[in-house]
Amino acid sequence: MGAVTYPDKAVIDFVDYNFIPVQVQVTDTALMQKYNVSWTPTILVLDADGKEHYRSVGFLAPGEFIAAMQVGKGRYYLDTEQFPEARAMFEEVISQSPEANAVPEAIFFPGGHPVQAHPRPKPLREVYDTLTAKYPASDWSQTGRAL
Amino acid sequence: MAMQVCWLDNLAKALETSARTKKPVLLDFYNPQ
Repeated sequence: MGAVTYPDKAVIDFVDYNFIPVQVQVTDTALMQKYNVSWTPTILVLDADGKEHYRSVGFLAPGEFIAAMQVGKGRYYLDTEQFPEARAMFEEVISQSPEANAVPEAIFFPGGHPVQAHPRPKPLREVYDTLTAKYPASDWSQTGRAL
Repeated sequence: MAMQVCWLDNLAKALETSARTKKPVLLDFYNPQ
């Protein structure tokens, strides 16, 4: 990540605009244990209380990194009940990075959130149909079966 | 614009900044070797 992804200008601008970035070395065993981290790179999206909302494990090229962290920020918004912001973030992933591996998750969460974001059955069915048609091999398509 | 990500090295400081700015924290665990 340090050699390829983090020096990328688009990544720098994206991180600077969207997050408070902090790096912790694997020698910080207390934090590794606190967040149950056993592999690097592991990237977490946290709220101001330190609660985890999203996790990515393994290398991500610049485009995949941005798309994944957009989903991560969307999940943060969703969990903190900032629904319009969550929807906007997920839609940004879908429109800006349609080929990214994070897209099925970005499709799943706005329609799949069962409580307040989108409780009506028709959109839920549309989400499932979209996922199975476009991303049949994705884990999110299998998860969407419950919709 | 910055030429590299301006990483903090202290989570407590990052959480404090997050509370003030309303931005989430991006926490990267890395191995420098």
